Amino acid sequence: MNPDTLKYTEEHEWIVEQRGLYVIGITEYAAEELGEITFVELPEVGRRLERGEDAAVIESVKAASDVYAPVTGVVAEVNDILEMEPDLINRDPFGKGWILKLKDVSLEEYNDLMDSRSYRGYLKTVE
Amino acid sequence: MQYTPLYEAYEQDGGKVVDFHGWGLPIQFRGILEEHRWVRQEAGIFDCSHMGEFLIHGAENIRAFSNLVVGDMVKLSVGRCRYTTLLSLSGGIIDDCVALKFSPEELFLVTNAGALDQVAGHLKRYVPEIENLSAAMAKIDVQGPLAPKVMLEAGFSGVDALSFWAGGRFTWDGVDVIVTRAGYTGELGYEIFVPDTAALRLWRVLRALPEVLPCGLGARDTLRTEMCYALSGQDVDEARTPLEAGLDRFIAWDTEFPGKSVMETQRESGDYQVLTPLRSVDKRAPRHGFELRHDGAVVGEVTSGTFGPSVGCGVGLGYIPAALARPGLQLEAGPRSLLVVVETAPLYKQATGRNRIEIGNLKA
Repeated sequence: MNPDTLKYTEEHEWIVEQRGLYVIGITEYAAEELGEITFVELPEVGRRLERGEDAAVIESVKAASDVYAPVTGVVAEVNDILEMEPDLINRDPFGKGWILKLKDVSLEEYNDLMDSRSYRGYLKTVE
Repeated sequence: MQYTPLYEAYEQDGGKVVDFHGWGLPIQFRGILEEHRWVRQEAGIFDCSHMGEFLIHGAENIRAFSNLVVGDMVKLSVGRCRYTTLLSLSGGIIDDCVALKFSPEELFLVTNAGALDQVAGHLKRYVPEIENLSAAMAKIDVQGPLAPKVMLEAGFSGVDALSFWAGGRFTWDGVDVIVTRAGYTGELGYEIFVPDTAALRLWRVLRALPEVLPCGLGARDTLRTEMCYALSGQDVDEARTPLEAGLDRFIAWDTEFPGKSVMETQRESGDYQVLTPLRSVDKRAPRHGFELRHDGAVVGEVTSGTFGPSVGCGVGLGYIPAALARPGLQLEAGPRSLLVVVETAPLYKQATGRNRIEIGNLKA
């Protein structure tokens, strides 16, 4: 995934439309802040998530952290390789470390999210 | 922020510096998991120069010090180390510390950084002949099964004769140092106390050995949690007695110490909370501050918790009623009701700390 073409949240999740589904992960910054990831709890496929609802839990050596749904939608797929290899998120946060895919999302919410330029600006305010 | 004499060596290994009680110390170099595993299998080095060191002079002053702690420092044998806790008047733990007896007239004391000013003030008040060496003394821990080999290769001759929890004065490269065979990881290892002026040189000599990986506070925390060693200020503090901290075996009941009657009452009634090892049933970890519940009722709180790389599951320490501290008992922890099991210490049972050193193997 090219980070320049993704949409972002202030909680450091990314989301992008791909073949009708919306792929979600966490940003390189978030993965770096969490440190080495040891466990990922994924949502059930078919579950409807409201924007801001807990979608997954990521545990690292240092801390546990929630992943929130960036937009409202229904879980279409989860990256279950993460159950065996949770550190894929550290190694490839914008690619093989994707977490879940949503369908039937709210396009209005999606269009409201930050683009990569805004996110980079936002990162400067939190770093 | 204060920095140790080893600060300038961190960058070369990619050390990520954090604020630890006002000290800029590395949380990690290559990564917590790799450093953790390296210490369990090879040898890691840790910068512990932020810690406090004191020297107590004279038998009377050693006796005065012994009256402030829960153990018997008068009876401690020459050449031996002893873990103990410095107590408030009501028996609360001001800090935990390790004492090393050089002679019946001389006791070396190692304390933590967090409460150092308070500890120094407390000691000075009750022990007239005490020297605070902290400002000019660095400390490097060498920890892991290959530590004896590393020490010999680095030029510490004679330290291989030290048994578990022994220590003494040595010379390294013309510098007077103190070495103990102790540590905070459970592995075979040494703590080297070296003057600030020689510390960077020693770090670089150790660092250059192929068996050695620099390690940070992150791995130190996962290693000590797997061994169920308390972290002063986090697992134990002035609100807890050594009995509550699960330190029964370090309590010299036949001597007088502050708060003894409080602890006797606790012991007789059995009505107290005790720091207890916990293991989760999967890779999710209990975390500091998690509530502990039994049969739906809140019974205690987690004080330390992390993923335990060598045990492959979440590990932690928490306070629960002594009556519930039965191995095998299941509790629920935290907002997601993580299932945790009461265990016995240590959670990691294959640590090499007490192993005999085979000299023949070292020279090979």
